[in-house]
Amino acid sequence: MRRREFAMLAGPSILVMAGLLLLPLYRTIQWSLQDVDYGSPGKFVGLDNYRQAFSDPRLADAVVFTVTLTLLVTAVLVVVGYLLAAFVNSLGRSKPYVLGLLLVPYVIPHIVGATMFSWLFNANYGGVVTYAIEKMTGIQVLWMTDTWPNRILIALNIIWSMLPFAMLIILAGLQGVSAEILEAAKMDGASPVRTHLSVIVPSIRGVLGFVALISIMDVVRTFDPLVPLSPQAVQLGNESIMLYIYNVAFRDGGQDLGLGSAINVLLILLIIVLLYPFIRGLAKEARMR
Amino acid sequence: MSTSRRRTAAVAAVVASLSLVATGCGAGSKTSAETATKVECDYTAPSGKTDVNVLAYNSSSVDPYTNTMVSSCTKGDVTVNHEPIDFAGQVQKTTATLAGDSGTYDIIETYSFVIPQLAAEGKLEPLDDFVEKHSEEYGLDAINENMSGAMTYDGKLYGLPMQAQMLIMAYRKDVFDELGIAPPTTFDEMRDAAKKIQDAGDIKYPIALPLLASADIVTAYDAALGSLGMNLTDPDSMSANLDTPESAQALEELVSLKPFMDPQVTTFDQPAVQQQMYNGSAAMSIMFSGRMNDLTLESNSQFAKDMAFAAPPSVDGGDILYDTISVDGWSIPANTKNDKDMLFEMLASSVSEKASKASLPAAYPARDGMVTESSMPFATAANESIAGVPPSEPYPWTASISNAITPMIADVVVGKTSIEDGTQQMQAAAEKILAESK
Repeated sequence: MRRREFAMLAGPSILVMAGLLLLPLYRTIQWSLQDVDYGSPGKFVGLDNYRQAFSDPRLADAVVFTVTLTLLVTAVLVVVGYLLAAFVNSLGRSKPYVLGLLLVPYVIPHIVGATMFSWLFNANYGGVVTYAIEKMTGIQVLWMTDTWPNRILIALNIIWSMLPFAMLIILAGLQGVSAEILEAAKMDGASPVRTHLSVIVPSIRGVLGFVALISIMDVVRTFDPLVPLSPQAVQLGNESIMLYIYNVAFRDGGQDLGLGSAINVLLILLIIVLLYPFIRGLAKEARMR
Repeated sequence: MSTSRRRTAAVAAVVASLSLVATGCGAGSKTSAETATKVECDYTAPSGKTDVNVLAYNSSSVDPYTNTMVSSCTKGDVTVNHEPIDFAGQVQKTTATLAGDSGTYDIIETYSFVIPQLAAEGKLEPLDDFVEKHSEEYGLDAINENMSGAMTYDGKLYGLPMQAQMLIMAYRKDVFDELGIAPPTTFDEMRDAAKKIQDAGDIKYPIALPLLASADIVTAYDAALGSLGMNLTDPDSMSANLDTPESAQALEELVSLKPFMDPQVTTFDQPAVQQQMYNGSAAMSIMFSGRMNDLTLESNSQFAKDMAFAAPPSVDGGDILYDTISVDGWSIPANTKNDKDMLFEMLASSVSEKASKASLPAAYPARDGMVTESSMPFATAANESIAGVPPSEPYPWTASISNAITPMIADVVVGKTSIEDGTQQMQAAAEKILAESK
């Protein structure tokens, strides 16, 4: 490809990337070192925002909550996504219908899905699940104000909304597993469970890694489901890092874009740390090919 | 796929797409003809196409004014635009549009709580000269003086009042009558009434208050503190009053209501409290007056006919009620590029007599003599509430302090922090903001 053609084809993407990725990243890093209010030029304050961030116990709480949520939800997404994908893959003519049904949560906007989800658990709006649990066990679960029930509620909602994506990608991976290898495993007398564990899973390791990578990136940035599902997130210790950034940058005590930006930079570093093993694994696999 | 099946599929896809487009159009237009009243809007139009963007949150008490402005002032080459938005969205967009040398909006809905801060920062246009020029044409002399005062900072008017919202108690008259309970006038009476209702067995959590931990809870604390005769700050000494015995008592009083409220009350905003009243899970609630008319609509609740209204109680039996008043109005951003005289005429027309009458009973108009028992089912309660409201605190730091102490109040009410620690933390946060404001 000629240099000019390459420039013409790649130019627009590079421009968009620079405008939507590099510029905001530069601004975030710049503001993290400044005291900034909307519309006024920032004042350089060195590492003050980082010092302030590290001295706030809410940051540590938000990091612990977010990382734990991310690891647990990602594990569930990969395992249950695999099981669902294997189930869908085994279906015959009903496969497209079941697949379509399973994809419904994925096309519902997060905030809408989370709001509807919250109504299932909120007695004030019907609360079918809460009602059923109370009828069966006599226990009134306070989903919005008790720490652990609220955590379970948040995790369930994220799993509900992201499972279709995990299932879809793994399904695509399963369909790429060679029929000959599966046939050979069957002839060697491998049970279905052994076939999955020793043949299929290793064959689609890269796909599973990709699902884990995307899931980690998405769950670490959890924000909108918390608005309807955890109105008392700060008090419960269920404040995600993104919600914490929003609260300090735009709400508590007014605007503090500098502090918000500093926490954002720390979040980017955290995401890199969490993704490092997966990126390294994918790169290794690519090199082996 | 056969040709006929393909055609059927294509037709279905087109129908589905058109339905989605139609649904989208319906959702985007909040300028409902139902609440839009046509009034005179006699501005001098500039030459060429002009767009006037209005920022105002949607609620049954603000919509009539917004819709009147949009429908009456859009003419010729001038188009008045308003997109649906909730209150939180309005707060965010107000900050953003006022930030730079130019903004997205030309007219913004403001309220007495934020006027001092925005005016002190020079972000709003003073309206006094415009009022003087157009007073006769739009009958602006009938606008209540106190409400104009609430939108005034440092002697200048920064918001043209449209309506006021004050706290009102709504209660289930059938439940109260059956148990021989009178509407409570103090917190003690409110607790006693709640206990009787609880003991009767039908309603487990009789009291409903909006105590959302991330927002409404600070309004409740402020109302309780005001009822005890204490302000958040003392502007003369530039000190905060949040570690005073009154502050501790205000928090104690809120905590004392918890046994009579839903255990998840700290997640309830005003719509959630309305919902409690609609579905009969609460027997009394205290909310802003803009939420009251909805309770009387049979389309919303089977108990609509049983709703009655009273002024909110005082916390400890004094003359000042557990109350706060918020005056809503229209402001012109200092950074708008449109002709400000034209913009003022638009907002003046939307608060004209005819437009204000049309806002009843959902709103309590800022014009004198409009609210009567026949025009508003909670008129007496509203007027009594206004008479007993604590003094306002029109200072630039009030909004910042309120935002800063909100999570601390929530920590106390949910029991995460003791009252003593909470008041100390609140005091420290407020003193820090006051020091920066000096």
